[in-house]
Amino acid sequence: MIQLNNIEKYYANKGVKNYVLRLVTTTINQGEFVSIMGPSGAGKSTLLNIIGMLEEPTYGSYEFLGEDVTALNERKRIELYRNHIGFVFQAYHLIDEMTVYENIEAPLLYKKVGGAERASRIADLLDRFNMVAKKDLFPNQLSGGQQQLVGIARALAAQPSIILADEPTGNLQSAQAEEIMELFKKLNQEDGITIIQVTHSEKNAQYGNRILHIADGVVKEDVLVG
Amino acid sequence: MVPGVMLTLSAKRFTLNLINMFKLNLKIALRNLFKNKIYAAINIGGLGIGLTAFVLMLLYINHEESYDTWDPALKNVYQIRERHNFFTPDNKEHLQESNESRVANLIRQKVPQVIAVTKVDPDWDFRTGNSVKIGNADPITVYRMKDADSSFFHVFKYKFLQGSENNALKAPKSVVLKQSLARKIFGEGNMLGKVIKVVAWQGDEGTDLTVTGVIEDPETPETAGFTAIMRTGNKDKDPDNPTNSNYCQVYARVNEEADPELLNQTLKKVYVDYKKSTAPLRKIDYKSYFANGKYLQLKAIPLAEVHGNRPFEISWLEKLKPVIAICVFLLLVSIINFVNLATAQSVQRAKEVGVKKVMGAYKQQLIGQFLLECALQSMVALFLSVILIEVLLPWFNTQFHVELSFWHNANLFNILLQLLGLFTLVTLLAGFYPAWILSNYNPASVLKGNYSGSLKGIILRNVLVVFQFIISVTFIIAISVMHLQTNYLYNKDLGFERSNLINIRSGYDQNLAEKIKRIPGVQYVATTTQVMGNAFNVPEEIEYNGNKISLNTVTISMDALSALGVKLLKGRVFSKEYKQDTVNTVVLNEAAAKLIDKNPVGKSYKIIDQDRTFNFQIIGVIRNYHNEGFDKEVLPTLYKVTHLGGTSSTNNLIVRLNSDKSAAIIEKIKAEWKHAYPDFPMEYTTLDSAFDKVLENNRLFINMIMLFSTVSVSLSLLGLFALSTFVAKRRTKEIAMRKILGASNVQIVNLLNKTFLVLVIIANLISWPVAYIVVKKWLNGFAYRIDLPLYPFFLATVISIIIAVLTVSIQARRAALANPVNALKYE
Repeated sequence: MIQLNNIEKYYANKGVKNYVLRLVTTTINQGEFVSIMGPSGAGKSTLLNIIGMLEEPTYGSYEFLGEDVTALNERKRIELYRNHIGFVFQAYHLIDEMTVYENIEAPLLYKKVGGAERASRIADLLDRFNMVAKKDLFPNQLSGGQQQLVGIARALAAQPSIILADEPTGNLQSAQAEEIMELFKKLNQEDGITIIQVTHSEKNAQYGNRILHIADGVVKEDVLVG
Repeated sequence: MVPGVMLTLSAKRFTLNLINMFKLNLKIALRNLFKNKIYAAINIGGLGIGLTAFVLMLLYINHEESYDTWDPALKNVYQIRERHNFFTPDNKEHLQESNESRVANLIRQKVPQVIAVTKVDPDWDFRTGNSVKIGNADPITVYRMKDADSSFFHVFKYKFLQGSENNALKAPKSVVLKQSLARKIFGEGNMLGKVIKVVAWQGDEGTDLTVTGVIEDPETPETAGFTAIMRTGNKDKDPDNPTNSNYCQVYARVNEEADPELLNQTLKKVYVDYKKSTAPLRKIDYKSYFANGKYLQLKAIPLAEVHGNRPFEISWLEKLKPVIAICVFLLLVSIINFVNLATAQSVQRAKEVGVKKVMGAYKQQLIGQFLLECALQSMVALFLSVILIEVLLPWFNTQFHVELSFWHNANLFNILLQLLGLFTLVTLLAGFYPAWILSNYNPASVLKGNYSGSLKGIILRNVLVVFQFIISVTFIIAISVMHLQTNYLYNKDLGFERSNLINIRSGYDQNLAEKIKRIPGVQYVATTTQVMGNAFNVPEEIEYNGNKISLNTVTISMDALSALGVKLLKGRVFSKEYKQDTVNTVVLNEAAAKLIDKNPVGKSYKIIDQDRTFNFQIIGVIRNYHNEGFDKEVLPTLYKVTHLGGTSSTNNLIVRLNSDKSAAIIEKIKAEWKHAYPDFPMEYTTLDSAFDKVLENNRLFINMIMLFSTVSVSLSLLGLFALSTFVAKRRTKEIAMRKILGASNVQIVNLLNKTFLVLVIIANLISWPVAYIVVKKWLNGFAYRIDLPLYPFFLATVISIIIAVLTVSIQARRAALANPVNALKYE
């Protein structure tokens, strides 16, 4: 599904190259649950951003579903966002001025999903995450865990094939964090959604089936879990 | 499924989706507005005020543009203008709206394109109303009743409610009323055949006129406006003696096919031929008369262009130009506030943009969303301004002597279209840049976590703040200079005593004058052709020591100079003790003396009229006194006394009072008047109000500038206030850090002030030369003016700096006093 070849990312500063990523080559297949781990500043988030096409690599090639992403124009990229990729963020990044319902609805509007279909999908998600009673609340009326649940529901609404999560539990207490990770595991195993997460926590990484250890921009280890 | 059906289905889904997205965006916009109530209020309120000024101006322009548009057939009507020097302010030849009355007949007979020609009274400034008497009722004064010949309604096709176009002015001694006047004097019902007695001046015995028609008031204003058209018979024929002439306005209706250029060529030829052939009759040698630069001109001006360029007047568009500039600036200031606040606020929306982008929103969709928000605000602002206009219009109308209306406007549809255009323009101007900035946010950097905003748009924001302050500072300078100039004019020595002096609209009637003189408290009763409020200039060429000098002649009665209280510089003024004073002595004003001789008193000059020579002796020189606006120099003038103490047609009977009880004395004068002229009410003005009238346009202009500058300065300050709030907010972390490192509150306030102070100072430096040029130009419009002082410039700088510092400090202080722990906690 994802094929990275010799990905490099550096910033040139006064003629000196500051590498963030160096010669990263890896393949991630449909249905995998990958955790990217490593110390602060290792390049985890950058790698995830490159996978999510939010940043461009300085060098190297990247194929997403067999398509060369570096050659993609903006329209095509946005199409990928709409149909294949869901993002989950550490700070949830819900839109403050929208209710829970509206936040989940937004991607469907961009994807041009019809009204009836939209309503049933949102109802389904709300039901699944036990948020029906909270659908008309605004994000600041929810706890962090609940906000992240909405964030995930929003990511799932467009029925993506892959979810990219940047420290999804970083702002949460451990009980809530566990709940979120269980949910990810379930999504991966029951719905077959590919998940890539960046995390600090060894415990969280155990929920997945593969760990990429990164240090100083280089993949040091690529291990399977379990 | 059939492909066609599928297509319609997906198209339908697509529109539904658009509507849903629109709804959601609208909701977000509203929620954002409520969240930032104060800024929304500043934004919308400011824009509303800016729009109000602009829309008022639009209404005014529409009003002026609507002149003479009440009938499409008016495109075939022309005003005829003749070049001559009768009754011009500077005694020189000009193309004038009044024509010698013979022109009408000439055109009627010699110009084939013309279908109908009419002669009608012009609007004389100094002539007020006619007295109208119905039966034995008290006379009432009716303004703008005009005398015309029988063809008036063949040229101007008014809609007759009673009577008909063909019969209305067929017989002499008839009158056609406008409905508004008819209602006032008769009420409702059939008025045809009723008789009114019209008295044109106090000595007139009156003419009985029969009502032969009532016409509808047109919806739009008219150049040749009137309340009633009379046919007294005076306009029916021209003077018999070829050397005598009457002056009146002439309008012509031409046939559909007539070409304006060709029409004017024909006019020119016909007119020159006529003047040549009649020159001997008028005892003029054609060749020598037109040798020295004088030339003949007769021109047909399409009615549509008449209002826009009237002789001796600056056209309304020229007059309005500074106002247009001010209104545009005001609107710009409010738009700038809008742009500044929106870009400053954009940090708050960055996350939304980032999230939406990764959800698959196109950039255009985001731009559309933010433009929609802006449109929403401009819409509210527009409604606000419409309300403001409704509230302000009555005040505006009385203040500026206009009759503007909004909802009852004949051109409402047009105005609404213009408003729609304005709305679109404002939305795009105010919304596009912020929308562009916002939609360009890079999601990767926005979503990384803690995003505190970038420097995006800061240069533009600073430029805009500078621009706002340039406008405000220029306004402040302009007001102070205008204030100084106005003070100077108000306190200027006019050359005569304007208090306790009244001017009755009447000629000099010996009997009445004697009676008024006997009233205790009346010092002088006199007449003159030249007094502030009503000056009639007559050119005269004199010969002194072989030099030909052209002077302005004023005819007065013996007491007039004393009554006015002018200051004598040399010699003496007229007096009864000198017999020759009513024959051949003159008094000069300073300006005339300067042209003639250093020491003119006792010297004589000649006037050559055809083959006879008259000698006049100069007996005194008086200080120049003002009788017209301060934009004109006082003309070099000579004063003569006529035999009976004045002609009957001066229309100025000036009365000098030497008592405090002027109201009681005026009542007594009125009583004497009523006794003498029972059919004609007395009208008078005090010279104090005549003086105010001279300065009125100036006063109106200054009031308006004053109003606009106050609004503009407050808008700029509101903008600055809101902007400094955002800046303080954005630098919260920096301020907290500095406090932890030991910065005092004052140092922090200074830190924030410094940024804005630099901008304000730059704005001041730029606005100095701008204000200098603008104010200098304004001052140059006055013949009597102050030297441009420097201190308003410093004053404006000091004021702008003080208020800017105060505004910013309010916010800065709050930021400085905040507990740094709160700011740093969120790291």
